[in-house]
Amino acid sequence: MRIETTRSTNAVRLEHAAGFHGSSGHLLDQLVPLATQALQRDEPVATALQPATEQALDERLDGAGGRLVRLHPPEGGPAGASAQTVAARWALELRALGVSKGRPVTVLSEHAPALDGADGRFWTELDAALNVALADLPVRITCFYPELPLHLEILDGARRNHPLLLDEGELRHNPAHHDPRAVLTERPAAQPPLLGPPDERLTFSAWQLHEVRTTVERALAGHGYERERVEDIVLAVNELATNAVEHGAPEARMSLWTGRHGLLCEIDDGGTLRDPLPGLQAPHPAEPRGRGVWIARQLCDSLHVWSDGAGTHVRVHATP
Amino acid sequence: MTTTVEDCGAVDHAVAVTVSDEQLWQICAEFLAHGLARGEHVVYLDDGTADRVLERMTDDGVEVAAPLREGRFALVPGERHRSPREVAEAVRAAVDAGLAAGFPAVRLTGRLTSMVGDGAHALTAYDRAVEDVVRARPAHVLCVYDRARCPDELVETIRGAHRTEVVAPAIYDDGLLRITSLGPGAARVAGEVDHSNRPRIRSFLESALDRALRLPDAPTDIALDLSSLRFLDVAGAVGLVHAAEEFPDHHRLVLTGVRPRVQRVLDRCGAPFATQLEVRTRTDQPPVEQPPATRIRIHADPDQARPDEPQHTDAQPEDAAPSEQASA
Repeated sequence: MRIETTRSTNAVRLEHAAGFHGSSGHLLDQLVPLATQALQRDEPVATALQPATEQALDERLDGAGGRLVRLHPPEGGPAGASAQTVAARWALELRALGVSKGRPVTVLSEHAPALDGADGRFWTELDAALNVALADLPVRITCFYPELPLHLEILDGARRNHPLLLDEGELRHNPAHHDPRAVLTERPAAQPPLLGPPDERLTFSAWQLHEVRTTVERALAGHGYERERVEDIVLAVNELATNAVEHGAPEARMSLWTGRHGLLCEIDDGGTLRDPLPGLQAPHPAEPRGRGVWIARQLCDSLHVWSDGAGTHVRVHATP
Repeated sequence: MTTTVEDCGAVDHAVAVTVSDEQLWQICAEFLAHGLARGEHVVYLDDGTADRVLERMTDDGVEVAAPLREGRFALVPGERHRSPREVAEAVRAAVDAGLAAGFPAVRLTGRLTSMVGDGAHALTAYDRAVEDVVRARPAHVLCVYDRARCPDELVETIRGAHRTEVVAPAIYDDGLLRITSLGPGAARVAGEVDHSNRPRIRSFLESALDRALRLPDAPTDIALDLSSLRFLDVAGAVGLVHAAEEFPDHHRLVLTGVRPRVQRVLDRCGAPFATQLEVRTRTDQPPVEQPPATRIRIHADPDQARPDEPQHTDAQPEDAAPSEQASA
């Protein structure tokens, strides 16, 4: 088999650590040495920090802060916050950064309370998704959390998701660490906010996928999407719709919302979600399945999969 | 007595009963292309399908923009005429206009949809009128009926009223995907490949490879012409890549006329890394973008032209349009 793969054979694979802090000063005292050491080794450093932390770190690094690469910040957007989307995007950014330079990348991230939602579950999902999406990448990532967050879930999730803990500047093995899929089976990805009545709704079977494609194509017409972009979005939705009728119930439902935010599309089926984090890793070359969601993730601005008592749901957001 | 032919070029007044849109576009495109190549005046009775017929002609490497602009090729709205008598009158008028403009012959086709509701008697009257037109003039008329809209008895009546029936056999046609044979180890795949019909491609490749391995002189390339493939899903693309990788060492899978949309899916599914897969992209533009003098070539390399393609064997591109061209 000589088929493209994005799996790498780096000596350094993911090192995923959690750090805790009691104050912003305490946080900086831990961030500065991690950044300094990496920069001294001439390794790239990427950050996803709160703006105030970012600025303070920059001042403490005496001009070397310009070498920090900022990752796309986690954000809500019209589809709602999706931690798996953030993880997929960081994986893309870090792959470009690390593989092209052939060096391990140091990543420093910080909890942002704005994304806590109702119970802080976003962070549990993010760390689990990072474990999957970055598994084969030469990345050393340290995620900093407050010692006393508003939601206990955040500390719980951090303890279960991180194989390593940063303690007094030393990395220690974390005995409470669990496999990401086990973590998410117990604490499933959150349901995103409801969107109201859709502009378009279609129930389809495996023999009506062409209707799904036509409906999406029609919904995008006149909204400023280039021809090629339309084709790619139609492909992404086709793959999600295919999964729904292939693995799920004989019939599935598509809902579309169009407007100035871009296209929002949801596919609902009555099936159970076997992999809580599909499409986060490049599928193995010999594996005929699983590539559809992986490709759909690359093509959409956000792609969030979750399940509940009614079945499995996917929501995508695609701008022109 | 109706005779059956596969070559739709050489007919005077024939019928085709199509089972799918893809088949309609294929038959009409081939019939019209034959006329353009002979310098005839070519007319399509448009029931809303003209865009697809033009697309198919472009897929086939036929230049349509210049003939349309120069009036050698005309699209006539079909639904405007209600009664069979009116349609027959329109056919007669179109033929006479073309001949008056100096064309050596007139060629006309289109799907007769609105008339089906008028029943067998009206259709027979129509066919008799068209027969009169064709008998007295150098004209070729192909009447196309949609199988799904005609009851069985009506199909029999329609067939009985024509001397010739054009058939276009397919290896597979489900209305979404149409696979036709282009000779040993070669097929044309038109339409859309998705979860509902993906295994059909696989089974064609398996049988083509099987034949290629058994016959001593069979070509070692299995060729799929994808000029008219408008959609390929991810599993379909992965299937093609895997199929090529599983070929014996001396055999290759060659995809020709690949549209950009299909090309992108193949690229994302590892096609560039599959050594036994050759992907030849299509380089032409949509029909309206073509400058008048150029002929659209699907194949970059003329030596690699598709074998056994019926509509090319009798085409006479050297036949120019009549010198006394008039605007239609």
